[in-house]
Amino acid sequence: MRQNAGDDDRGNAPAAGRSVLVPVGPSSTLRETIEYVVDSALDSHETGTADAPTDGASEDRSADASGAPDGRSEAVSAGSDEADGTADVDSAHHDSRPVVHFVYVHAPDEFDPADETPELDDAEELLDRVRVWAEEDAGGEDRIEIRTDTVGKDQYLFSPADVAATLIDAARARGAGRIVLDPEYDPGIGAPLLRPLAYELSRDATLSIEEAPVQQRVRRAPLVGRSSARRIGALTGLSFLFYQVLAGAVSPFDLVTGSITAIVVAGTLSRISLSRDPTPTQTPMRLVRFLVYVPYLLWEIVVANLVVAAVILDPRKEIDPTMVRIEPAVYGALPITSLANSITLTPGTLTVRVQGRELLIHTLLPSAREDLFDGSLERGVRFVFYGRRAMRIDSLSDRDVAEIVPSQGNDASGSNGGDGS
Amino acid sequence: MNEFRAIAIVACVLIGLFFTLVSTVGVLRLPDIYTRAHTASQADTLGAGFALAGVALAIGTDATAVKAVLLLFFMFVTNPTAAHAIARAAHEDGIVPWATEDGAEGAHSGAGAEDSGTVPADSGGDVQ
Repeated sequence: MRQNAGDDDRGNAPAAGRSVLVPVGPSSTLRETIEYVVDSALDSHETGTADAPTDGASEDRSADASGAPDGRSEAVSAGSDEADGTADVDSAHHDSRPVVHFVYVHAPDEFDPADETPELDDAEELLDRVRVWAEEDAGGEDRIEIRTDTVGKDQYLFSPADVAATLIDAARARGAGRIVLDPEYDPGIGAPLLRPLAYELSRDATLSIEEAPVQQRVRRAPLVGRSSARRIGALTGLSFLFYQVLAGAVSPFDLVTGSITAIVVAGTLSRISLSRDPTPTQTPMRLVRFLVYVPYLLWEIVVANLVVAAVILDPRKEIDPTMVRIEPAVYGALPITSLANSITLTPGTLTVRVQGRELLIHTLLPSAREDLFDGSLERGVRFVFYGRRAMRIDSLSDRDVAEIVPSQGNDASGSNGGDGS
Repeated sequence: MNEFRAIAIVACVLIGLFFTLVSTVGVLRLPDIYTRAHTASQADTLGAGFALAGVALAIGTDATAVKAVLLLFFMFVTNPTAAHAIARAAHEDGIVPWATEDGAEGAHSGAGAEDSGTVPADSGGDVQ
């Protein structure tokens, strides 16, 4: 009878607490977070079957409910699809244990085509460990259902908003009504993440967001990132060279002040300025290839500038603005940024959005569009980062990764979006 | 030799001026924020580019010329970033890009790309 009394209240918050989504990463408080999540999932599951979780009296009734379901489950299980009271009773049945989804969010830098496997293995290993811990906390496999998954593998998530959108999608796809955040969670996008992530998530009103109340270890410096001797060394050298260039003539005074400045710069900024170690073989090669790429890029810019200038000055020529979407074969933050920058630098093409490896580009002229689909800039960027052999790649249109976005079909907010905004 | 250099400097500055002028005309003539962002970046790339090249030539072989090149480099990094930020903000705000059909008043004709006219001289109504 008591279950029925609570049913009305339950209807207001369908499925809340039944299924939980937890983004996991190699953080220091991961173990405690899992314990909290499993405990709270079991708790809310038990109280949820007995009563509305909002009801203050739920504590008393949970004991009552734990013994009850076996007798009732047959009678109501048929109604389990609906988000009303019948589902509550059914959820105590062994078929619907509380479900906890652990998802690993992939950071963009993990996808160099060269070494794809190690990081993926790490993710699998982490998720396996999470599963073992969670089942241990639950006191057996049959009391809770643990599902693990990875998300963001094919996307380039570079801001808290991107990660939040991915997590919300993941929660929706799995029917989870609650997201629990590990206070030390960081998917490795190289920015302080948790506050903005929690904020972005909380903008979605249908999900309840919670930070696991676990003891935090000593906090790292607010600008996350690792430092290493190599990074400090590279940054010192770079700063020193830059200082000498600005100083002009080399004098003992400049050498001394330059050294001091370089050391201070490297000591304070090495954690945020370089995201990975420079390697003695690869980094100089990339720099050299970049110097080869720059004149080529300048030439492309001059040509495109003349074409656009002709269209602007000649009233007989027409423009044909079109949105296109391409998915170039470059991986990681720096290569994508370089390509998007090069595309925007070239008049006639303008990068509007970067989502995953996918670039949304506004093109002004059909000729600019053809050049873009031809992929000459993509080849250039591949040459800089992956070497000469990587240049031998089919054009974007041949690889079928370039498409024209219909003019009214983008995700803008309706037909009046073009006016007055 | 000096005369030749002077001519090169003047040529660079004039070319830079030309592209800046084109960019200005483009911003006035083009219909919406996206197309204007295209042409606005021209002033930065080639306009400022040639002007700085002229400066570098005028300075000559002095180490200060390196600074002009560095300036150019930073401009080439920041300019597309700004253009992208503007375009992205416009897109997030839901501004639909101007399409050729809009100018021909046949919003959903679908075949308007070829038969509609030239760049509209004044269609500033799209974005205020």
